Amino acid sequence: MEKGLLKLLKTPWIVLAVCFAITLVFFLQMKEKSRLETDLDKYMPQEHPAFVYSTMAEEWFGIKDGIIFALENENGIYNTETLDTLKQLTKRLQKLQQINKSDVNSLYTADNIIGTEEGLDVKAFFKRVPKTPEALNQIQQNVRTNEMIYGRLVSESETVTLIVAELEDGVFSQEFYDEILALAASCQTENIKIHVVGRPIVEGTLALLAPADMKKMIPIVLLVIIFVLFLALRNVKNTLLVMLVVLISTIWAFGLMAIIGIPIYAVSTMLPVMLIATGVAYGVHLYSHLEGYIRHNPDATKLEAVSDMLKVMSTPVIITAVTTAVGFGSLLTSQVYPVKYFGLFTGFGVLSAMTLSLILIPAGIMAFGLPKFKPAEGRSQLANTITAAILKYKLASIIGTAVVIVLMILGTQKLWISSSFLSKFEKDSDIVLTDKFINSHFGGTTALNLILDADGKLNTFKQPEVLRLIDDMQAALESKVPEVGTSFALTNFLKRMNKVMHEDRDEFDIIPDNQNLVAQYLLLYEMSGDPKNLVKAVNYDYSRLNVTIQLKSDGSKAINSAIDIAHTYEQEFKDLGISINFAGSGYKGLVFSDLILEGQIWSLILSIIIVIILLAIMFKNMIVGLISAVPILVTALIGFGVMGFLNIPLNATTALLSSIAVGIGIDYAVHFIYQYRRYAITSSNRLEAAQKTMAHTGRAISFNAIVVILGFLVLIFSVFPPNRELGAIVSLNMFTSFVGTLTIMLVLMYKSNIYFKNKNTKE
Amino acid sequence: MKKITTSLVTLGLIFGLMSNTELSAQTLDGRQIIEKLYNRPTPLNQTSTLTMTLINKSGETRVRTIKQNTKDFGEVEKNIMFFITPADVKNTSFMNWTYSDDTKSDDQWIYLPALKKTKRISSESKSDYFMGSDFTYDDLGDRKIEDDTHKLLGKETVDGKECYIVESVSKDLDYMYSKTVTWVVKDHFIELKKEFYDEDGEKLKVQQIKEYGDFDGIYIKILEEMVNVQDNHRTSLFFENINTSVNLPNDLFTERMMMRGI
Repeated sequence: MEKGLLKLLKTPWIVLAVCFAITLVFFLQMKEKSRLETDLDKYMPQEHPAFVYSTMAEEWFGIKDGIIFALENENGIYNTETLDTLKQLTKRLQKLQQINKSDVNSLYTADNIIGTEEGLDVKAFFKRVPKTPEALNQIQQNVRTNEMIYGRLVSESETVTLIVAELEDGVFSQEFYDEILALAASCQTENIKIHVVGRPIVEGTLALLAPADMKKMIPIVLLVIIFVLFLALRNVKNTLLVMLVVLISTIWAFGLMAIIGIPIYAVSTMLPVMLIATGVAYGVHLYSHLEGYIRHNPDATKLEAVSDMLKVMSTPVIITAVTTAVGFGSLLTSQVYPVKYFGLFTGFGVLSAMTLSLILIPAGIMAFGLPKFKPAEGRSQLANTITAAILKYKLASIIGTAVVIVLMILGTQKLWISSSFLSKFEKDSDIVLTDKFINSHFGGTTALNLILDADGKLNTFKQPEVLRLIDDMQAALESKVPEVGTSFALTNFLKRMNKVMHEDRDEFDIIPDNQNLVAQYLLLYEMSGDPKNLVKAVNYDYSRLNVTIQLKSDGSKAINSAIDIAHTYEQEFKDLGISINFAGSGYKGLVFSDLILEGQIWSLILSIIIVIILLAIMFKNMIVGLISAVPILVTALIGFGVMGFLNIPLNATTALLSSIAVGIGIDYAVHFIYQYRRYAITSSNRLEAAQKTMAHTGRAISFNAIVVILGFLVLIFSVFPPNRELGAIVSLNMFTSFVGTLTIMLVLMYKSNIYFKNKNTKE
Repeated sequence: MKKITTSLVTLGLIFGLMSNTELSAQTLDGRQIIEKLYNRPTPLNQTSTLTMTLINKSGETRVRTIKQNTKDFGEVEKNIMFFITPADVKNTSFMNWTYSDDTKSDDQWIYLPALKKTKRISSESKSDYFMGSDFTYDDLGDRKIEDDTHKLLGKETVDGKECYIVESVSKDLDYMYSKTVTWVVKDHFIELKKEFYDEDGEKLKVQQIKEYGDFDGIYIKILEEMVNVQDNHRTSLFFENINTSVNLPNDLFTERMMMRGI
């Protein structure tokens, strides 16, 4: 390996040219073919049973996510201006290509079924916008007495009314998002404010905001890293070469993605983060060694210096890169494709960064000359003192680690999982405030679909006892779960029909107690109302039924407590031959985040085991393998523990960060152990070997840690909360790996007496 | 359903036969063809048993059988329906009065035996779908000739029958169909096929008359199907026991008879 690398030193310009040519190819491919995936359904494993059922149920009942337009007029909505705006916006939405005409619901499209003395009146609330106070007042009265509209499409305060536009899967795009917002804005007047929310908007905003914020923040992160790196390397050329390696490896990774045709997912934006954190390390270690060599051999030629650098450093650099890549490779076990791809391409990026470090940096030195270093004394003095102190107070490291472990285990008990999209936004951001506003006036912006399935048994959902049980469950959900605003099912239609057919008397707002009457009401509804509404509630042979539950929060806690209440009815439904299932995007999101987490935890365990085995083989010693895993174990534990204490929920992004802990933490350990072994051969005792290692590798590790930590701390100033969490957690992980390697791991290496057993020396 | 007196039927028949022979010499324009289609003679009295099958995109079906009686009173056409199956809606009845005066909307009543109550339904839209089917009230025969601009597109032989193809574009831009295209059988002026286009000009539904019969010189549909090609929902109507020679009593079409059942 080294021989090959040494050969390349003879033709540095060709090496540089080839690297740039390859990079150009990747770059052009990336520019041409890269595409951002904003459709969250594409993220989900379609073959998972929960998704399979949900997808079928969505098809049966036409379950779609809705964009909610809330028209607010503080003076009330029953005036010509507001109703006219409502009508115009409804009609314009119906004309949009991405929306089916019948999927737009508002007071303008709704049927008003009212019971009169002699019969049944089915008509629109209004067709032409009324101008007289009497006509406006009539609409107001009609809405107030219609519980299928009041509180659902018109707020009880009568200052807000909704238009809900349901979307087909996969029509959401940046252009559509802009079009929707522009449309809403264009309908606003001095008196009427229009708010836009709903899951498609939240998902869309998130999918656009996260990469946009990263685009803004990454250059600042890079600038800080370049600056700190310059302070550490004290040389412009070296700094630029290291950064060039990071940049090129990122281009290669994204270029390969583009060539294979894999879109950029939200998690992919973490790829440069990982490459910065790992890629910088290779350069720092190479230059650090080079600096030490030149100090000791001031008269060496550049070929001699670079040859020595490659001889000593190429093996540990390769080992660290392979172990890091294996760590990311463990993500291939995930059931979630974006995570799988993330692991694959980050692994590829890490190996590219390693290769480039071993080719570009030497070629750069050969082409542009050696960096100059002033011989400086006292440097290794500091390393010696620190090492001696650490080894003198071994107990401090051991006890300290034990205390931290106990503390962090406590912290992990407080960890909670969140699949909420809204929690990713700033508490005072427009989207969160609008959502809150709508939730305070209506049933809720998040829908959970509960599917009751009688397994093909005909007419089950015409039976009064079954319908009453559903009605009871709806009441329980609405009263026992604070986040549940309203729920809607076939029961609501039947209660409404029963009331209407009894001259609108409130005491008949109940489920009729006769199956024939249920069937006849439904027939009547089909004749008089919009039969499409029934399609969303029950299937043709009455063997499957859909209960739509509106929640005021999209968090896992709210959805889970609704699911828990529903499950208390499981036995009663089972006795009637009915099973309970769930569907809809809120539910899929919940299952999805559980899947990611479970996958994350498994791949974390797997990667640690693989890394231990790999290092045990490389260092031909099982104990060394185990000791090298200590810093990463501690780092992962601290990462999760601190998240628990700081109330940062586990989600797809934060859980992925555990991969960094393994990927980077292991680098520190490998470099340290490798050089410790090398120095063990020439040293007379353990302390001397440790001190030399500290002066050589400890120094490089410190530089590396400081550079990356400071770089990522910049993200704390991001406007996007998940990116802030990312910055904080990456910095923390780097810090704990760094401290863990130089303290507890050093102490354990020292105590294990490895590499000195045969030397038989005394300190 | 069309309103014409007995004498007009005879006149129409004679005229129809005459014009038939003239056709080869002098071609009709689109409007004339649709006029002949709309004004095709219908029986004064008709009873039949209708089997209505709704099929959704998952292939699930809803089947209803309905006993139907229709009588033409000139100014008003009255129709009464009794549900036979499914069992839980048996004897539910529905009565509809359509007036020849365009300004007057239909009168409708429903009787629910489980409630033992007759209720008047007032519904204002002709674009409403009939009983969850793919047919609107308009599709079932309430469209006026003047509502559309008609144009003859050409001729085509369908199922061995020579047909005119007429395009009818709605004058009202807000109407649910921007246009329809009808295949009219040259010999009897009954439609064999009709395509409906939605407001955006996209094909919405296709209607096919699969079987029709000659009842004393009056052509009546026996089996027809409507497919909504956008949401893949279909409806078939199958008329059996068609009888056009009865003379239905006038008092059959009353609320009292609705409550009595079949």
